[in-house]
Amino acid sequence: MSPRLPRRAVLAAPAIIGISAVAPPEAAAQGLKVLKTRSLLDVAVLDPANRISVTDGDVMRAIFAGLVTQKAGDTWGWEKDLAVEIEQSDATHIRFQLRPGVPWTNGFGEVTADDVKFSYERIADPVFKAAYRTDWDFLDHVEVTGPHSGVIVLKRPFVPLWSSTLPTASGQILCRKAVEALDGKKFTLDPPATCGPYKIKKLDPRRSITLERNPLWPGRKPAYDEIQYIQIVDSNAAEIAFQAGEIDFTQVPLSNVPRLRKAAPAGSKLIVTPSLAYWWLGMQSEAGPFADIRVRKAVQYALDVEMILDGTFLGVAERATGFIAPSLLGARKANLIAKPDKAKARALLAEAGLASGFKTNIGVRNSTEFLSAAQIAAASLAEVGITAEVIPFDAGQQKALAGDKNGRWKEMGMMISRFTMQPDPSWATAWFVSSQVGEWNWERFRSPEFDRLHEEAKGELDTAKRAAMYVRMQDMLEESGSYVFLTNGATASLCRNTVKPALSPDGQFQMWAEFAPA
Amino acid sequence: MLAYAVNRLALACLIVLVAMMILFSLIHLVPGDPASIVLGTRATPELVQAFRDRMGLDQPLAVQLFRFVMRSVQGDLGRDLFTNQPVAEVVWRELPHTFALAGLGLGWSVLLGIPFGCLSAAFRNGWIDRVAGVVAVSAIAVPSFVVAIYTLLIFAVGLRWFPALGAGPEGQPLVQLWHLVLPSFALGLGWVGYICRLVRASMLEVLAENHIRTARAFGLPPRRILFTYALKLAILPTVTLLGTGTGRLLSGAVFIEIVFNRPGVGKLVVEAVNTRNYPIVLGAVLVTTICFVLCTLASDLAAALLDPRVREKL
Repeated sequence: MSPRLPRRAVLAAPAIIGISAVAPPEAAAQGLKVLKTRSLLDVAVLDPANRISVTDGDVMRAIFAGLVTQKAGDTWGWEKDLAVEIEQSDATHIRFQLRPGVPWTNGFGEVTADDVKFSYERIADPVFKAAYRTDWDFLDHVEVTGPHSGVIVLKRPFVPLWSSTLPTASGQILCRKAVEALDGKKFTLDPPATCGPYKIKKLDPRRSITLERNPLWPGRKPAYDEIQYIQIVDSNAAEIAFQAGEIDFTQVPLSNVPRLRKAAPAGSKLIVTPSLAYWWLGMQSEAGPFADIRVRKAVQYALDVEMILDGTFLGVAERATGFIAPSLLGARKANLIAKPDKAKARALLAEAGLASGFKTNIGVRNSTEFLSAAQIAAASLAEVGITAEVIPFDAGQQKALAGDKNGRWKEMGMMISRFTMQPDPSWATAWFVSSQVGEWNWERFRSPEFDRLHEEAKGELDTAKRAAMYVRMQDMLEESGSYVFLTNGATASLCRNTVKPALSPDGQFQMWAEFAPA
Repeated sequence: MLAYAVNRLALACLIVLVAMMILFSLIHLVPGDPASIVLGTRATPELVQAFRDRMGLDQPLAVQLFRFVMRSVQGDLGRDLFTNQPVAEVVWRELPHTFALAGLGLGWSVLLGIPFGCLSAAFRNGWIDRVAGVVAVSAIAVPSFVVAIYTLLIFAVGLRWFPALGAGPEGQPLVQLWHLVLPSFALGLGWVGYICRLVRASMLEVLAENHIRTARAFGLPPRRILFTYALKLAILPTVTLLGTGTGRLLSGAVFIEIVFNRPGVGKLVVEAVNTRNYPIVLGAVLVTTICFVLCTLASDLAAALLDPRVREKL
């Protein structure tokens, strides 16, 4: 009798193959608490001195530690991390005391004040050519006063230290012994020793990075055993992955917010936070019709900013009152020109001898949001007789044209731009000083008073005085006629209801050690 | 035949060389200083200069091009701007994913396209032919990324039968195959239509030939005539098309890799363009071009091997 294959076996075999194929991944099968979150960009460089993107920063915040760290929540601020004590004893001296007994991974001993000295002086060293050298440009040296204590000595007072240097990746501490043993004393994706709440379990370049709890971390135990940071380039693909249950947290495009507000995926919440970025329409002020301040003022009065925001961001983004976002020191209460006034715009044009209007252009980055904003701005300006052609640019072309030595910058009329910034107002004014003309200050705004205020404000320890300086600087920009502040934008994220997220106030940074199951 | 193969190979080398020159020139003729573009607002002048030195950007364009070609010939495609990894290594790591996707996509198109084409021809002007015609034209007309999004929404989000993203963990081929089903279907669907229409047309031509009429007169079963005698001849134009098709699928894989968040050369290029990582763009596009040229070369040689009439014309 020939052997017969039972019918049930025939049916069971493909079922088993199918089940094994879709079997849950290893971590979930082991009952680990796993947080799966989306990264927009590839994790490229995990060296604080040369990091590339927000993505790198998210990972570094989990695997390294600094003296202080950024607080999660609605307001900007810092809290102690490895420092048990830290205080600014005078304008140029910051004393710190480290928590003793924080071990480095891979057997490199414990974190010491000498590691702090190494980490900060390394970034400041011009020979090292760190991409983030400007963060520590004002550092004179770090004085080690004991195994766990030291003093950061500055060349001059520098207030942004507390908001955009120490609590960021530039303030994170590396292990001197481990890094100095490396070829060239630098690394990219394979830090030789870490000391943060998580450590790298698996790195799959251009796909994902998996972190696991660092058992040596003496601080508060993070809630999740494992973090899977999965790179998904396309925002819509990320939203689909979220709906399919493959990730727990992702940023989504602002254009999707109205739809998600009406119907967020089941079991999830939409989080919209004001951003620190700033969008503005700038006018080149040294050639062509815009050399006349009356023409620039006419544009300020003619532009219907609310219409631009409604059309571009579908009502999600608020109008900006300046470059500095409302959550930061130095934010203005209102714009000097709060509402459009077409009659006044026409009168100003007539005064400038351009009653019948003129032709110009609006340069923008070649992406949907920029093009949309420019088209609406052009329509708004057409109402007062200004015909603006929308010219899409690559970011590089824009900068090349602005700095063109043969005077091609004169061809530029208006430009809609967006910059991002660190949580300190000095980051908003840095690009508009006179020395930036031909670089990033393509409006060619020049004011010795503005330049002086920008330098002074960086060292002003009195908060109220400092805030007033930044308000004045933004007033000056608006008074020059060259700027129309559009919006600071917003960041939108989808989060599963089972997850309690911990984000920076602008929603950009994910603090995984603070994430917890809801 | 040997002379033909050598000729084709030389032509392929020339095409790759010209493609390299065009690609290199295009990237370097884009206005703007690549160093400033890549390094952004934070770059100090020393950092910009260090970058320019490392990339050889101060050299004349012709010198840069010559160096690029010479290094590429030796397999050195430069280094990733950010991670400093060799570009060849990075591309090599992504290539199998793109090949698997394109290969399975082609598999779908052959598996569905050829039988539908044969059936259409066998039942010419019948309802099967009409339905297959409408389906084939629709499959050609709908862009692959639209198919990708809908298959994702239906089968991954709605029914949750298939995973929504990624390629699955390494070392688990069954899971990886499971991850490939939807993307490859979305990629191959358009080519189902092409192959179906092509097989139908060439099958109709073959079915009208004398030896098929003779076979029918001898009373051979229609299925045998169709699949054993007619298909052998009707498939030849399809073989040639498959060569070009594989190349097209490789480039079409870009959208699918983005939508399904799969690793692959297409996704690599998109990310590299976004971050201005020019060595990666150059290296990845060069490798894809070589693959395309090789596929076309292979299909030409296969057609010559399979069809004596092609060989006779050489």
